[in-house]
Amino acid sequence: MGQKPKALTILDWITGILFITAILGVFFYAPLEAVMGWVQKVFYFHVAAGWTGMLGFLVSAVAGVLYLVKKDPRWDRIGFAGVEIGMVFMLICIITGSIWARPIWNTWWTWDPRLTTATIMELIYAAYLLLRQGVEEPDRRARFGAVYAIIGFISVPLTFLSIRIFRTIHPVVIGSNDPGAAGAFDMTPRMMQVFMFSLVAFSFIFADILWHRIRLGALADHVEQKKIQLQTWGE
Amino acid sequence: MKNSSPSLWKATLAIVWKDLTAELRSRELLTSMLVFALLVILIFNFALELDARARANITAGVLWVTFTFAGTLGLNRSMAVEKDRGCLDGLLLAPVDRAAIYLGKALSNWVFLLIVAGIVLPVYSLLYNTNLFQPGLILVILLASEGYIAVGTLLASMAVQARTRDILLPILLFPVVIPVLVAAVKASSGFLEGLGWVDVSTWVNLLIVYDVIFTAVSFMVFDFVVEE
Amino acid sequence: MDTPANTIHYFFAGYAVIFGSILIYIINLIGRWRKLKRDAAMLEELERTRQTS
Repeated sequence: MGQKPKALTILDWITGILFITAILGVFFYAPLEAVMGWVQKVFYFHVAAGWTGMLGFLVSAVAGVLYLVKKDPRWDRIGFAGVEIGMVFMLICIITGSIWARPIWNTWWTWDPRLTTATIMELIYAAYLLLRQGVEEPDRRARFGAVYAIIGFISVPLTFLSIRIFRTIHPVVIGSNDPGAAGAFDMTPRMMQVFMFSLVAFSFIFADILWHRIRLGALADHVEQKKIQLQTWGE
Repeated sequence: MKNSSPSLWKATLAIVWKDLTAELRSRELLTSMLVFALLVILIFNFALELDARARANITAGVLWVTFTFAGTLGLNRSMAVEKDRGCLDGLLLAPVDRAAIYLGKALSNWVFLLIVAGIVLPVYSLLYNTNLFQPGLILVILLASEGYIAVGTLLASMAVQARTRDILLPILLFPVVIPVLVAAVKASSGFLEGLGWVDVSTWVNLLIVYDVIFTAVSFMVFDFVVEE
Repeated sequence: MDTPANTIHYFFAGYAVIFGSILIYIINLIGRWRKLKRDAAMLEELERTRQTS
């Protein structure tokens, strides 16, 4: 693989600075919420991580479509990278949400539509990884991955909708399923600024990691091709 | 694809016909799906203590778990047979539209699942002394099984081409059919409890939306799954 | 005025998870990158010996 592009190094630095600024903003600039106290500060990065996760899955679905149209392995690498990064950040979102729910809703877990959908998304993309693992031929693996990334992504809004209707018809047993009822808060201007800044910072983190992950994918494909070449040669 | 639609339907029906006559001869697919479905109900009987009071609430759940599991069994088998006997390659080489292969396989899988449902319903009614033959429930079964089969046929044709094929299909299929299952269970139990159309229509609408979207998308991407 | 609930432990736990996960993922990526680089170098070496022999 070629040298690391200069633009990527610059992006690394910008991302690092933005991330540190966001952390400082959350820790010191954002005011302490009057009722929930410190744990409310988890909210900024919790939402930002969820946003990053959705970005990753969106990228994988779009890359899936483009791969099927263009048959360029680069789109396959982008799609795969999107899924992997999406899974990492969605997991962060679920766990931090759970940590936030414990003191506020008095439970680690509720079958709230957003939580449940996020978990089902993790399962969908875990299935995506298993599917890729089960197919050896690179071209077929890429096609199957693209198809499943598209199908999986389309099912997400319907899953969310179905659980949402399910919840509103059903009585809620523990806590409240609606954040508007418990744990809601009005954002002060400072909170809003920190929140928006976190979203921007995490978008940069996403772009930066995505680029690195795509380069890793390219290297992996290169090594795989070399291996196949040498094997066929040896026979 | 549009200009070949008359032959598309002919080819589709030919594939359905082939599957049905082959099944009529061997009966292996339907028999195993049926035996499996009855076993699932039997296990539920002991696992959940299906007494009269509990039954009304959970019948819908038991039915849909049964259909889902029996459905995966059938889907896997139906696509694996094509793959193993080289029929899939044969079909691909034949001068038919790929779309016809998808439609044909999906239709015959749908028919199989409906046959299983058609036998499970009276048996369940008999065993537990309820009447499951209600037009609402039958409508739900038709709609939900269509969505399930539309995605299932697509994913099964990917799963059988993978190394880990026997375990792959449920893992791929279940997370994406959750909306179908939620809607089907809620709509079925609504109809069984005798709720009015107003209470159930949301779920039926959701099923229709799912069916339309996923049949269209699966139909469009199937080409890429069987490409050589 | 009420004082906010004492939830600082949850705050620390939350940020430990966020930083920890990102860090672990980045370390994992670096590890995979190094391993692939080694593999690539090895394969290149193999290719050269094959060509000369």
